[in-house]
Amino acid sequence: MAMHHCQQKCAAIAIAALVSTAATGIAAAQAPAGASTPVEVRGGTASFDVGTNVPALNVHGKSTSLEARGTIRPGANGPQLEQIEATVPVKTLATGMGLRDEHMRKYVFTTADGQTPDVKFSARQAACSKTGASQSTCDVTGDLSIRGTARPFSISLKVTEDRDSYRASGDGIVKLSAYGIPQPSQLGVHTDDEIKLRLEFTARPAPVATTGVRR
Amino acid sequence: MTRGAIRVAMALAIGIAGATPAAALPTMIRIGYTNCAACHVAPQGGGVLTEYGQGIDQAQSLRGGELQRVQELHRRLIQDLRVVMQEQSTWTDRPMPNNFRPRLLYRNVTNLGAGFRLSGVATIEGASAPRPTKSYDPAARGSTLFVNSALVSYRPAKTLELDAGRDQLPSGVNVPSLGAYIRSRNRLGYYDAPTQLKMAWWGKRHQVMPYVYAPGGNEASGERESGAGTLAEFDLLGNQRTVVGASFLKGTARNGDRQMVGGYARLGFGRWGILAEHDVTDRTRTALAQSFTQNASFTQVFWAAREWLVLSGIGERLRVERPFLERRNAGQVELSARLAPQATIVLGTRLEKDLVTNRLAKSLILQMAFKTVY
Repeated sequence: MAMHHCQQKCAAIAIAALVSTAATGIAAAQAPAGASTPVEVRGGTASFDVGTNVPALNVHGKSTSLEARGTIRPGANGPQLEQIEATVPVKTLATGMGLRDEHMRKYVFTTADGQTPDVKFSARQAACSKTGASQSTCDVTGDLSIRGTARPFSISLKVTEDRDSYRASGDGIVKLSAYGIPQPSQLGVHTDDEIKLRLEFTARPAPVATTGVRR
Repeated sequence: MTRGAIRVAMALAIGIAGATPAAALPTMIRIGYTNCAACHVAPQGGGVLTEYGQGIDQAQSLRGGELQRVQELHRRLIQDLRVVMQEQSTWTDRPMPNNFRPRLLYRNVTNLGAGFRLSGVATIEGASAPRPTKSYDPAARGSTLFVNSALVSYRPAKTLELDAGRDQLPSGVNVPSLGAYIRSRNRLGYYDAPTQLKMAWWGKRHQVMPYVYAPGGNEASGERESGAGTLAEFDLLGNQRTVVGASFLKGTARNGDRQMVGGYARLGFGRWGILAEHDVTDRTRTALAQSFTQNASFTQVFWAAREWLVLSGIGERLRVERPFLERRNAGQVELSARLAPQATIVLGTRLEKDLVTNRLAKSLILQMAFKTVY
């Protein structure tokens, strides 16, 4: 009886695993050349570094809640990225000092009507070029929205293929003035206009919504 | 209730009634403060805070909140009173008296304009706390009223300062505890305030502090030392959390000379960090044919459970060669709570083992620091 119960249950688990594997299409490398694979990023890192008018004092901040979706189309000259959508919730950005975080949210990310929309990035596509057997460089150009205002933003990502996932990191520059945001100032210390952004994340095949057995 | 307990209770009562720390806080490296110049008026650190520093001081306290901008007059004349009360109980195999040490400090910085300023710290104390007296290095003389620092400073550029007067010499990792071997055994005690001329030059990734010095006037006869030295530190990875540095000093006195070479690091990793220093001091005495070497090490691992609450584990090591043979190891656990911009409480326990006599000393330390904010 117990055996019979196990057979039923194990078969269900095996089917679920097969369906799940097929649905997520794990291993982009196994996908036919030219086919797009949906990928997603969860728990990526977005960090920033901005100088101040005080020598030797920079402000660093970080969020480990970067989320993104897009598709990757493998190609002979490197992967092609499409339909990229990324989000960083403002409340997850932290500098290590509570009061400074409050100031950052208030002076940089809060709209005139008191809202703090997430920082969003979108790009239609980005071409990558191979720099090694499993490495590529991708120049991604799109729109970065701060306070709900979109402005052009470019970042150069170094992408490393690792089995079924892609590890990426890159730096870009954001100017507060481009968004009409004054440089935050506190007790005589103010930040620079230019902010260096760094992104580090791993993109994995996105699970496709399925109907049927779920474990 | 014992007298010690009554004193502690009194100190706590005063603490509740009103009360900031103002010692150097190298632990701020954890959030990217590579050197002291961002928050302290003096680039060497310690002493009066800048307006921005006061804001950070408040923000890093349990009370928190925003500092209101000060009036223009207060930017020219910054002064405060600071009360520090330290109760230390030590147990060994021999009876040891409790040590209660109250101090009242007056600190003043007067900006004269055109880059010039005057600054000073004067202390009135209830019990003196000289560094350990050694036959090869007698402690400088203390007094009930002691001028720890009196400087004329000139800042010709935003990142360059020249100072002349009396003060403690610049030191590596710059921990506030004057009892640490790296300080107490290198003439960086409470009453060591040589006359000096020093320069501080700092930037995004570096700080250099060369200096020359002469006796402060309170040294023992024959121990009036003159010399020169420098500190040089560099932010290794450029992320403002990996500062490494070196210090050099050469001092000459009638009874003997010393040469010190040290290396240090201040590393920050967000909530926690590491402060470390190792100094090698080579000493000569006129009465001795040969020189002897002293090694002093300090390592502190700290963790900020909250912005205002920092727990530290400290390890120290001291080795002095014959004929003044000394071998000591010490370990300390310390909890520092910054309750408000005016009040800090430090509770610590320390074990110190003398490996030559095999004697173990256990100490319990309670320190409360209160200051007025103008």
